[in-house]
Amino acid sequence: MTVKRLLILIPSFIILFLLQSYLWVPTYEEQTRGNPERLEEYITASLGDATVLNPILSANSASSQIESLVFEGLLDRNEELRFRGRLAESWETSETAFFYVNPEAVVPGHGTLNARETAGLLQETKQTANHPNKALNRSLARVKAITVDRPRTFVAEKQVDAGEKDAARSPVTVRVKAPSRIRLHLDQVDPDLFTHLKSLLGETYFSSFDATGCLTIDPPQDQTTLAELAAELLPATEHNPVLVFHLRPGIQFHDGHPFDAQDVRFTYETLMDPKTLSPRISDYEPVKRVEVIDPLTVRVVYKRLYSPAVGTWGMGILPEHLLNPEALKQEALERGKDPADFSIRQSAFNRHPVGCGPFRFAQWKSDQFISLTRFENYWEGPPHYQKYVMRIIPDLLTQEMEFYAGTLDNYQVQPHQVKRLKNDPRFQSFSGTSFGYSYIGYNMRRPPFNDRRVRLALGMAIDVNEIIRYVLYGQGERITGPFVKQTDFYDHDVSPVPYDPKQALSLLHQAGWTRTPEGWLEKDGKRFEFTLITNSGNEIRKAILAILQEAWKKIGIDVQTDVLEWSVFIQERVDKHDFDALVLGWVMGIEPDLYQIWHSSQTHPYQLNFVGFKNPEADRLIIKIRQTYDHERQVEYCHRLHRIIAHEQPYTFLYVGKWTAILDKRIVIKDVDQDGVELYKKITPTETGNYTYHFNKWVKVPEMPEFTAE
Amino acid sequence: MFSFIGRSIIQKTVTLFFVSVISFLIIHLAPGEPSQVDPMNPKFTPEMVERFRQEFHLNEPLYTQYLLFYQDLFTGKIVSWKDNQPVLAKIWERFLNSLPLFIVGTLLTWTLSFPVGIRSAIFRGGIYDRSATFFAYLLISIPGFFFAYVLIIFVVTVFHVPVIGMETFGMGAASWPHLFMDRVWHLLLPSVLGATGGIAVLSRYVRSQMLEVEGQDYVRTARAKGLAPDQVHYKHALRNALLPFVTMFGLILPGLIGGSVIIESIFSWPGMGRMAYEAILARDYPIILTVNFLSAVLVLIGTFVSDLLYLMVDPRIRL
Repeated sequence: MTVKRLLILIPSFIILFLLQSYLWVPTYEEQTRGNPERLEEYITASLGDATVLNPILSANSASSQIESLVFEGLLDRNEELRFRGRLAESWETSETAFFYVNPEAVVPGHGTLNARETAGLLQETKQTANHPNKALNRSLARVKAITVDRPRTFVAEKQVDAGEKDAARSPVTVRVKAPSRIRLHLDQVDPDLFTHLKSLLGETYFSSFDATGCLTIDPPQDQTTLAELAAELLPATEHNPVLVFHLRPGIQFHDGHPFDAQDVRFTYETLMDPKTLSPRISDYEPVKRVEVIDPLTVRVVYKRLYSPAVGTWGMGILPEHLLNPEALKQEALERGKDPADFSIRQSAFNRHPVGCGPFRFAQWKSDQFISLTRFENYWEGPPHYQKYVMRIIPDLLTQEMEFYAGTLDNYQVQPHQVKRLKNDPRFQSFSGTSFGYSYIGYNMRRPPFNDRRVRLALGMAIDVNEIIRYVLYGQGERITGPFVKQTDFYDHDVSPVPYDPKQALSLLHQAGWTRTPEGWLEKDGKRFEFTLITNSGNEIRKAILAILQEAWKKIGIDVQTDVLEWSVFIQERVDKHDFDALVLGWVMGIEPDLYQIWHSSQTHPYQLNFVGFKNPEADRLIIKIRQTYDHERQVEYCHRLHRIIAHEQPYTFLYVGKWTAILDKRIVIKDVDQDGVELYKKITPTETGNYTYHFNKWVKVPEMPEFTAE
Repeated sequence: MFSFIGRSIIQKTVTLFFVSVISFLIIHLAPGEPSQVDPMNPKFTPEMVERFRQEFHLNEPLYTQYLLFYQDLFTGKIVSWKDNQPVLAKIWERFLNSLPLFIVGTLLTWTLSFPVGIRSAIFRGGIYDRSATFFAYLLISIPGFFFAYVLIIFVVTVFHVPVIGMETFGMGAASWPHLFMDRVWHLLLPSVLGATGGIAVLSRYVRSQMLEVEGQDYVRTARAKGLAPDQVHYKHALRNALLPFVTMFGLILPGLIGGSVIIESIFSWPGMGRMAYEAILARDYPIILTVNFLSAVLVLIGTFVSDLLYLMVDPRIRL
């Protein structure tokens, strides 16, 4: 019977064919130990694929990981998280400060002064340096030159609100007759300059400067708009911090083209181009202009005091010769696209990047791998590894299997595995605290969360150590404030809220809550009840929700919990301030700028201070931290801010997670000393826990080497 | 016949239009923003969010967005929001990756289910039938991801060969038969996993269909006139039992573009399912909508093809 035979033969044949392929496949053994080339490669894994390999466009972690190897920034951070020169050999910070001469103001002891006289007074005070205000003398000592800008006129095109009903903005032409202004050149940034100058020029010298008379607007506007425009176009005082970068000579891009100051300016200008639609625009918005002084010197002038500015120059620099408008136009024509709407976002460069980092781009297979080869002409000497490969493996268990088999060199250990893998003699392990924290945020607009005692009591009712022990398997640490724990901005003297349900209850009693016979807390006949929410898809947060509910129930608070899909959670609840309390986390940068999350101006819907924290002292400190270029003073301000936030308890700060990574034991650091002798050292993490800091010196050796004594 | 084809095409075009409208609405009404617009990132100012929304036409009325999207789709200009790559090229690349999985999986399902199911029906109630039933329900109820993990751990620890991805990572220079067989090996586990559920379900269908047909008068007649049992089972019964499977065969076509998220993720297979899933998470509307549209087209083509097949295999049906 042919049908019967076919029905049995066909599947058997297919299965046999599939099975015999086993005989052709190389084993893991052949791939790893039997393959000498494997020692020259570093293979790592990522859960998701990169999106765009262009430092000014990308936003996800896989892309940044590759970009940090292909591109190089002007500077980066060293082991102690301080800035270190990369493409820039060195840099200087200085400042140009301006103020408009106020002809009406009465200068104490001098009467009204014109521009020349004002400049003369400043010069004289600087030279004699005997003003009773010592701070003023110190400020003036930093001034290297005082000049007078002559009055000038200019025309500005502006947008104004076209009336209350219409939300649209209409254009106006403003003719400005600017009075003379005094220009001060300082050899370092002095945020307090004008405060100190007031003791010489009079308390109201700057605040009484009225520029409305200098403006002619067409069509005419009301008084408020006029004052707004005047303040914008002719601010009484202005700080222009200046950064001058001295670039390292002789650096090349991967294609051999020399790197110079033009590339830096080009990167900035492309990023700011509205067509680029860069997500990093807010970092560079305070830049007034970038000037090329000579091929190895770049001068960046800022519009205002903005100390996070220095760190932004760690971004990778793009090669101008491959991406300038002519190059893009040619690419558009070659690919048959319209050059008019062809921007850097469309360029093939984003999948074949060229930078001046230690590795050059080789190949990218979507959702499979991205491979890089080393750049022999890297300015610091090429890395020891020949190849760097990032495999995209979206499943953690598969990653783990591949790591054991030797086709991955590192594995990010899950919290529950740490105990088992950390002391495994087959691997070397590293761990550290991460740059983010989890917290409970209270909606401070709603009673009873507007009472500090209530927030504190809620925090005291929770045993955070228990959460860390049972939910995180011990892989977490307590945190008390909003700064990254391994930086010096974090104040280690602030102690965490203790677990003390009794104290919590007495605080609630003080706040007017009494316990009913059934055990619930009540105030004015209303039970203490609220809803605690978090986003779905995060098992840890879900577990915390249950623990909190139980802990608060013990002291008589009736808590409902709700887990919402991420976008509903953000758009419908967080953005619209429609919540009582929530569990969420922040990922922090090293920069201590907290403006978006803690400043009182950011409490509107769709802004990030959604808990509604408002504290005038905190506002002042947040601004000062942004304006201070001096590290020590920044640290001092941060500590004060940390204490205020810890005292106010707008969040109950829960924990910062700990990560653990394991690495093949045969990967070591290879150094060559002056006599050309090779030295092998164990990989040691930096103080901040970064074990890949010396990545370029890593090698994989066939056998465990003898380590050089430290 | 021709009037049937004509009518059918018109009907299906109308259906397709409604599908396109409804899927567009559902996706736009669901909350969430494209991942490029990240409201929880302190670096995103409201002005930037606005600029992104403008760039993606998210501020336009829905019908304008609908027209813009389908205009871009039909002129082939549509690009992904995530990485600015042309959507159709991306889908084609993933389609080629998923295709071997689909083909091998379908082959395994359709060739294995029949002998298994027919034998169960013939020896109804015997040990073979009972164990086949047991295994079928076991395979249906076992979660795919769990089964996949068990298989991977088993193969990796016992045979020490790689099973992840489309080919052995870092194969380098090898002769083409090696490369080809390596790819076949990597197909084995994911397609077997993909096929298990199918085999379990389909063999049950075959069994019940065969049982139904075996009770018919014409089968009894065939037996009565003294035909060999194989003749009765495989010629008279099987042919008639096949009819419902013709319909099912047309419906496997949409599977071409579906892919399996779980299997593809576990095996790091760069296929369609993973791309579509990631696009949904990132709210990459162009990709989601294009995949959606293409699968709607395939479903309609599938039903059309099975109608035609029915026409050919069953002479009683006249359209």
